[in-house]
Amino acid sequence: MAEERTASDIVHGVPPIAVSSTSTLANRTGSWKYIRPVYQDMVAPCNAACPLGTDVEGYMNLLREGKVAEARDLLLRENPMPAVTGRVCDHPCQTHCNRALFDDAVNIHAVERMLGDLEPEVRQPVPARTRKERVAVVGSGPAGLACAYHLARLGYAVSVFEADPEPGGALRYGIPEYRLPRIVLVREIERIRAQGVTLQCDARVGGSLAWKELESYDAIFLASGARVSRPLELAGRSVADVRPGLDFLREVKAGERRTVGRRVVVVGGTDTAVDCARTALRLGAEPVVVCQGTRADLSANAEAIEEAIREGVRFEFQVWPIGVQTSEHPEEEEPLEAIRTMFAEGDGPRARLTGVECVRMRPGEPDPSGARRAVPVQGTNFILPADTLLTALGEEPDLGFLPPEITRKGYVVKVDEYGRTNHPGFFAGGDITGEPRTVAHSLGSGKRAAIGIDRYLRERAGEAVPALETQELRLGGTGNLSITRWRGDDPIRRASPVNEVVPYDQLNMAHFAGVPGKTDRHRSFEERRSSFAEANLGLTTNEALAEARRCFNCGVCNMCELCLIFCPDVAIKRHPSGHGFSLSYKYCKGCGVCVEECPRGAMTMTREGL
Amino acid sequence: MKKVMMGNHAVSWGVRLARAEVIAAYPITPQTQVVEELSEMCATGALKARFIKVESEHSAMAACIGAASTGARTFTATSAQGLALMHEVLHWAAGARLPIVMADINRAMAPGWTVWTDQNDSLSQRDTGWLQIYCESNQEVLDSTVQAFKIAEKVDLPVMIVLDAFYLSHTYEPVDVPDAAEVDAFLPKRVTRYKLDTNDPRSFGALAPPPVYMEMRLRQQEAMEEALRVVDEVDEEWHRRFGRRYGAVESYRTEGAELVLVVSGTIASTARYVVDQLREKGEKVGLVKARLFRPFPTAAMRKALAGVPHVAVLDRNISPGHCGIFAEEIRAALYDLEPASRPAIHGYIIGLGGRDVKPENIIDCVDRTREAARSGKPTPREDVWVGVQP
Repeated sequence: MAEERTASDIVHGVPPIAVSSTSTLANRTGSWKYIRPVYQDMVAPCNAACPLGTDVEGYMNLLREGKVAEARDLLLRENPMPAVTGRVCDHPCQTHCNRALFDDAVNIHAVERMLGDLEPEVRQPVPARTRKERVAVVGSGPAGLACAYHLARLGYAVSVFEADPEPGGALRYGIPEYRLPRIVLVREIERIRAQGVTLQCDARVGGSLAWKELESYDAIFLASGARVSRPLELAGRSVADVRPGLDFLREVKAGERRTVGRRVVVVGGTDTAVDCARTALRLGAEPVVVCQGTRADLSANAEAIEEAIREGVRFEFQVWPIGVQTSEHPEEEEPLEAIRTMFAEGDGPRARLTGVECVRMRPGEPDPSGARRAVPVQGTNFILPADTLLTALGEEPDLGFLPPEITRKGYVVKVDEYGRTNHPGFFAGGDITGEPRTVAHSLGSGKRAAIGIDRYLRERAGEAVPALETQELRLGGTGNLSITRWRGDDPIRRASPVNEVVPYDQLNMAHFAGVPGKTDRHRSFEERRSSFAEANLGLTTNEALAEARRCFNCGVCNMCELCLIFCPDVAIKRHPSGHGFSLSYKYCKGCGVCVEECPRGAMTMTREGL
Repeated sequence: MKKVMMGNHAVSWGVRLARAEVIAAYPITPQTQVVEELSEMCATGALKARFIKVESEHSAMAACIGAASTGARTFTATSAQGLALMHEVLHWAAGARLPIVMADINRAMAPGWTVWTDQNDSLSQRDTGWLQIYCESNQEVLDSTVQAFKIAEKVDLPVMIVLDAFYLSHTYEPVDVPDAAEVDAFLPKRVTRYKLDTNDPRSFGALAPPPVYMEMRLRQQEAMEEALRVVDEVDEEWHRRFGRRYGAVESYRTEGAELVLVVSGTIASTARYVVDQLREKGEKVGLVKARLFRPFPTAAMRKALAGVPHVAVLDRNISPGHCGIFAEEIRAALYDLEPASRPAIHGYIIGLGGRDVKPENIIDCVDRTREAARSGKPTPREDVWVGVQP
């Protein structure tokens, strides 16, 4: 255009419009600013909340881009069992999802489940054996399998020893079929085996497996679980014959038991208690769960309680058993198929259960710690008729096989956040430690121990290890450790990441439209009452992909281009690599519109010169 | 090709034929169908233009200013309160010498709330530096819309095409839609001297201190004077190509007239009917239609009215505290005539807020003017309000 601006355009000494006669390049808008925007990835609250340290936001974004295989691989970096956790995890990710404050939380677990179920069509490559050290893992529950999986992927030779005839631990025997179908677990274990992990069943430490043999390994990870059920104490009665709920679940899962009687009372507020009641219901019983606290006090998963109630399980909250009623003629009146629960009356004949005597409870006076232990309400005793009594008061580990020099803390093994015991080379995780009793926490503890073992073995070999503070490995500074960060091979390119969780108020809701969340589909209650078929059917692949598109991608640039669109100085361009944006500080005048408009808090303003 | 279409769609078709490249508008009754039709044309690809949805008329004009600054052929449309909201940026468009074309569907200003026609919305923007062309028929609307782009781009000034709410906007008439290739020959792609260019960045609209500001306004005024010539030149070319012309000022049966009505917009067509009837009776009454309001065609108006004893100006508008705006402008334009040829000007306020202007209302104006002429009283400075309740 410059050529066309001839002298004839100047009339009365001025051009026709207020246009500068010289180029404005001498005073670029960039010279005006004293603060500047920067792209700065933060941590989504779901990631920080995940007991497994999963990059939830990352796989949601890959799914949004249509990269399903990449999304699955990203998930499998941290979680070897997404098909399991997609079904049985409490999903704190969803509880912390920022979208819950907008419309509905993203149905994360259903997306995870969909990705987990993609197997076996898509297989991961077997990692190369790059380390000379061998690691032994005791126990093939979620903690043991996770540790073995991650160590194998770090190049170690790993052998897992399982006392039971089949691998899986609590996943195989503790979680009913209607929540976790056996085939799902089998496929997940196959996935782990495919990483080169050796699995040896029927290998009980101290039994078929000598402790000495274990000590020949370079490191040992102990994850034998907690399977000793806490006993029920009823004043004046021996209750040795009361069946632990965990055993009942195990028998049903193993196909050894198909009946349970009609009147089943389950004592306890644990997940095991709810599982027992729902299992009994499916065997034709009318189960009642007796728990000391209110519904909110229960340790069991709130959704599972809701499902149980809707299926027809009766709960007696703030009630506790104080005795049993028995029949004098046990053999004659024994109800068909009840679990034989016999009580010895002193030295006399054993009597058969006909009812459980209960009393109503209320919160007592606060003790010095402020806790209000429940106390009985006088005169509220009543009888719950019962053929079968199951206890589900929690489980404790059996630590009898451990060498005495390993330090305990109460009834569990004392470990630090890398699973290190006081004994070098000995690591522990899952339910034999103080880890919360969930599958996700166990998988997470196995992963942390894998990092700990890798650090230990590399330091022992005199090699350099990543100079990372534990804080830096934690997602958002408070979440679980990320093995991707430990490995330093994050496939997601991050712009000057900050290890902080992005809160809801840093997002810009002007750029989101309300889209109701898609909830899981379920089998009908009628069908569930008579079938062990999986109750929760999840989402279809398309529904799960639609959920992934609802993700805000909190704190992480997903190339929405709103910064580029809103920049009044055209200072933002797509990066030539196709990932991220380049910001021209020659033209950016520091107005901050991009930071303000960024829907996901992935930009921030910094002072000039910093 | 003849099509039966409403006035709003005549605007849309004009814009389509002119191949506007950017359209930014906000809906308001009675203008809405103009951009509704254009958005359809954009959606189907019949018009290859970028349609920008905005949140207000101020933003609509701001978007047009941005688009026109890049060299794009740009259009918007509005009415009444929407035009008033644009006021600030109307000055900007003109001062930046951007050839934006806008259709204003004349709608009276609220309150009381109204959607019906009068000219106070557009005449309130008299001094913003926009050309204003008032139309009488849907054919004239389409033709003027296309012409407007050519005029605007020749003089680097924005043009407002004005049409009456409902009497044109929602009324169907047969309209001859010119051949697109012919229009392309008439109106080639816009060429601009000054535009935003990232390869040669300049400061636009920056500070103009006292030593230069006045000269810029003088250049704007000179462009307006140039526009008077260009409006006629473009109208002539239109006539050569398409056989229709309108003129800045049109005289109708004014030969030997003792009384001439001056009107604008659709009242002109009613007034033609009245003049025909009166002429049939041998009465010497003629009509002048004011089509171009800015720049004001002083010379043409003088030529049309010099020597006529009595002129009745019918204003569908009012400058409160003064008089009808066309009457005021015409009085000023004729003031310098020799007293012998200077007409007496009689002003009438009529049809505000969409009130019908019927033939008998116009005859009433003629009678009142004759009465005033007969009584020999000096021309009243205040206008007569026609048809109002006592």
